Amino acid sequence: MSTTTTTTSNKPSQPPSPPPPQSSQKAEEEENIEIVSDDNDSDFSSIDSEIPFTNPPSHPFPSNPIMIDSLFTTPPPILDPFPTQTSILQSETIDEVLPFLTAQSQQPDLFTYNDFGVPSLRREAHISFLRSSLGRLPGRFVAADASRPWFLYWCLSGLAMLGEDVREYRDAVRETARSMQNPTGGFGGGGGQLSHLATTYAVVLAIALVGGEETYEVIDRRGMWRWLGGLKQRDGGFEVCKGGEEDIRGAYCAAVIITLLDLPLDLTPDSPAYKPDDPSFNLLTGVADYVRRCQTYEGGISGQPSAEAHGAYAFCALGCLALLGHPAKVIPEYLNLPSLLSWLSSRQYAPEGGFSGRTNKLVDGCYSHWVGACFPLIEAALASSSSSSGSSQPAANDSLFSREGLIRYILCCCQDQGKRGGLRDKPSKMSDAYHTCYVLSGLSAGMHQWVLDEDGEGEGEPGWMVLPYLEGEQVFEGRDRVRAVHPVYVIPQGAVRGMKGYFRGKGGF
Amino acid sequence: MPPKGKAAQKPKAGSSAAATKSPAATPAAPLSTKSTKATPDQQQPQSSTVAEKSKHNFTLCHPFEDLTGKNSLSALPTQADQLVWFASRLVTRLPVRSIGAKGQKDLWKTVNDHSLPPRGFNIRKHQKRQQQHKTADSRGRDIGEYSTKEWELRQEKRVTLSCLQLQSQRFRELRDRQKRGFVDSQTGDTVLVTDSEYLEEKQRRREMDRLKKELYGTQGMGRQGKLALDPEWDDVVPIVVEDPENALAAIAYSPDYAEAMSYLRAVMNSKEYSPRCLKLTEYIINLNPAHYTVWLFRAANIFALKLPILDEITWLNQIALENLKNYQIWHHRHLLVENYYPSISSDPAALSAFAASEREFLTQILAEDTKNYHVWSYRSWLVGKLGTWFNPEELKSTEDLIDQDVRNNSAWSHRFYLVFSDPENCTPGDKYAATEADPKVPGQIVDREVGYAEGKIRLAPQNQSGWNYLRGVLVKGGRELKSVQSFAEEFVMGLGEEGEGGEGEGTGEEVKSSHALDLLAEIYKEQGEKQKADLCLRRLVEKWDRIRGGYWQWRRDGLGLGEVAA
Ligand SMILES: [Zn+2]
Repeated sequence: MSTTTTTTSNKPSQPPSPPPPQSSQKAEEEENIEIVSDDNDSDFSSIDSEIPFTNPPSHPFPSNPIMIDSLFTTPPPILDPFPTQTSILQSETIDEVLPFLTAQSQQPDLFTYNDFGVPSLRREAHISFLRSSLGRLPGRFVAADASRPWFLYWCLSGLAMLGEDVREYRDAVRETARSMQNPTGGFGGGGGQLSHLATTYAVVLAIALVGGEETYEVIDRRGMWRWLGGLKQRDGGFEVCKGGEEDIRGAYCAAVIITLLDLPLDLTPDSPAYKPDDPSFNLLTGVADYVRRCQTYEGGISGQPSAEAHGAYAFCALGCLALLGHPAKVIPEYLNLPSLLSWLSSRQYAPEGGFSGRTNKLVDGCYSHWVGACFPLIEAALASSSSSSGSSQPAANDSLFSREGLIRYILCCCQDQGKRGGLRDKPSKMSDAYHTCYVLSGLSAGMHQWVLDEDGEGEGEPGWMVLPYLEGEQVFEGRDRVRAVHPVYVIPQGAVRGMKGYFRGKGGF
Repeated sequence: MPPKGKAAQKPKAGSSAAATKSPAATPAAPLSTKSTKATPDQQQPQSSTVAEKSKHNFTLCHPFEDLTGKNSLSALPTQADQLVWFASRLVTRLPVRSIGAKGQKDLWKTVNDHSLPPRGFNIRKHQKRQQQHKTADSRGRDIGEYSTKEWELRQEKRVTLSCLQLQSQRFRELRDRQKRGFVDSQTGDTVLVTDSEYLEEKQRRREMDRLKKELYGTQGMGRQGKLALDPEWDDVVPIVVEDPENALAAIAYSPDYAEAMSYLRAVMNSKEYSPRCLKLTEYIINLNPAHYTVWLFRAANIFALKLPILDEITWLNQIALENLKNYQIWHHRHLLVENYYPSISSDPAALSAFAASEREFLTQILAEDTKNYHVWSYRSWLVGKLGTWFNPEELKSTEDLIDQDVRNNSAWSHRFYLVFSDPENCTPGDKYAATEADPKVPGQIVDREVGYAEGKIRLAPQNQSGWNYLRGVLVKGGRELKSVQSFAEEFVMGLGEEGEGGEGEGTGEEVKSSHALDLLAEIYKEQGEKQKADLCLRRLVEKWDRIRGGYWQWRRDGLGLGEVAA
């Protein structure tokens, strides 16, 4: 294990004057959240990530005392002297990230470190990275041909979190969405591709992000409803496309689409899940039970029953349940909350500070969202369960994860330091649109807290309210705060309201 | 091309005396020198390039047109010349009707006297064409600079191409007749396109494509996709979809990919299932293996054509090894197995042979990527499908991977599935969640698995995979956590005690596993020893697992000890 000499005391005794209070983040302000299908960084994220990084220059430690908790500058206190492939990779990763965490990677023209050794958010660089990812992509992106809708969502959501007004993309989103919609309902990855729950989810969210009635009207809701009926399975889950796999991603994406578009829930007789003898069996019947079957002995959630617990699916599971009813009621009813929380919490490592996706896997920026964004939902479930449902779980008085660790990992290790901009898995990986979106969402989760109004905001929906998280020390500068996103839909809260309100107001198709 | 043909028709214009010299060089040469007639044929060999020859021919026909545009009325030596020059302008540029009967008569007289070319040859068109030819040939060379020899070669290629096109057309007609069941009137046989004719046509098109590229380059006329060249696809009209002008994240597809997709749309549209469709899917998968639509279409073809599933699996193995991160491949395999299973489900020998060959391949691919989520997900599904939980080979291959890397959580996870989903030892179905006890699990299975986990934990006590497994086994088997209390205590010494030097609380303690502390906190809590539980959690907050401090603090809150000093 490397020994770093840059550490300061365990808790800096002399915190500098706290950053000025954030320009008050009004509750009505948008927030958002997002989710997806990636595992292993499979298809999307690996597209452009193979270029090796150059080692950060090792600078002498700056003369100003920089306050970095030794937690983030030294290897963990317990290390087994029993090397295997996993532990070797883990220790290489620590060696990789430590220089970034200890303010030794500075490129002074690009990074400004604050007194906590945390660089500022390269907002402009990330904005321009996302904008160019929305433009024409070179031929080597052909592997992304079936995931173009994701680029729309990742980039627009990322831009919104960075404070950009994305309404300027309305016309383009409208045209692009039209070219991806199938006459039989739903959106595919592009012209002539089958409709898929993931791509449909991404297009619907992109439309919500840019807003506008004319844009909403691009969606053929009747076709969408029929198509969803065709994917519904008798075990409660959904196939991701006709003949495609059934997994928890599909369930989450379907729940998001159904609730955002205010679709009717009935099934038509041509649905494979239609039960002539049980007319009450509808699109959302059995979804929660399907989710329950995906919890594993470790406490986490797998993509389909009997597989390994994985961070991306944890968010899908919680998000899906939170759409089926009040999180405080539904989540503890279908999931073993204490073991899930234990597993989620185990995903955060020190000194890295960021999250991993599975037990004994490496830290990766995108899990800042997949795992990090689970915490608001867990906290909401705990906050009410202790008061109402008689559960023995205490409410969370403090943050259930280390916000400082997460923010440090993101700002120190996940930001591309060159002209390229964008955010990444870890310093040895290239930035891409997928990681940019989810790292930013994780950053947002680290900077905010959510309060769930028990009574909801009408229409039987829970009322989410966001506040900046101000407990304890803030290691980031106020100007680096990103916008909050809705904890389930992962788009600004205003975008959720706009779309839901529009379709609810229509009454019928 | 320069107006070779046209110019050749007009050389009788004997008046073109100026043509004896290069026109560009003699802008003001006397024009009316009827006496110095020259035979154009004698002049031509002097032109070395196509452009020169073209100019030469042109001048023969337009004695008063200086292609450089420098001549003018005043430069002409005699009035007669000026008159002729004027007439030539008029005759080639004006709508003649506009100058009245008398004017026309005079004009034509002048023209005829001097044998000027009448309106047939449009100068501007000619100049424009010259302009275009500047960029012509496929290598970017101005065709005008071709030597006449080169020019002839080029013409030869064009003729060859035309011939090939004719032959190709004949082939299409023949195949058309075959399709419609024509009978040859002479032989009385049905028209049949033979394999060798097919091959010839393929060869011919390749030759045509090569010639086109040589003649015209890869843009415009020369652009021909692989499929358009293949006679097998002649009857399919590709559906070309262009992205909208302002489309976001539009990809600059390679011509091959764009073409293949347009054919895919066409055959999916017509629901065609055929060997050529299968080939098309393979072609596209090679270009983009992450294309879910093409994978599903491939599966549909295999099932519709009733192709041997095992052949497809063999083909798929190679693709999977080349694309470790791709997950469409694994769903495809899943569909293949769903389709294949009914044919072997009642034949134990076939079933176990298939299970063995799958295991062999999975072992191979996991050796490349030991934690590949898609592979492991497929594997657990396959075990359930084939009912091979109890198979000792399956358990053994999991053990091998854990022996290689005790921290391979995917292997641990698979082991849990094998042991605790086996209907022999468990309540079938999903009556009990993974985090609930199943009363049907036999005690000796629990003992065996607890022993296995403990042995592995001793190798690397801070390895969470082993601890998660241990706890999972205890819960599933309905055992109290305290049954492993003494085991967990092996990894924690002198918790909270001062060290020899008395440097402060905790300096004397030795913790080999934070996961042991976690488990002990729960065990003590179950037994009502809240203070001991709290000490474990507090030391986790303070020292042994600080990054999870918020979580450990929450666990402390759950002990109900009230406000505790941190
Ligand atoms: Zn990632």
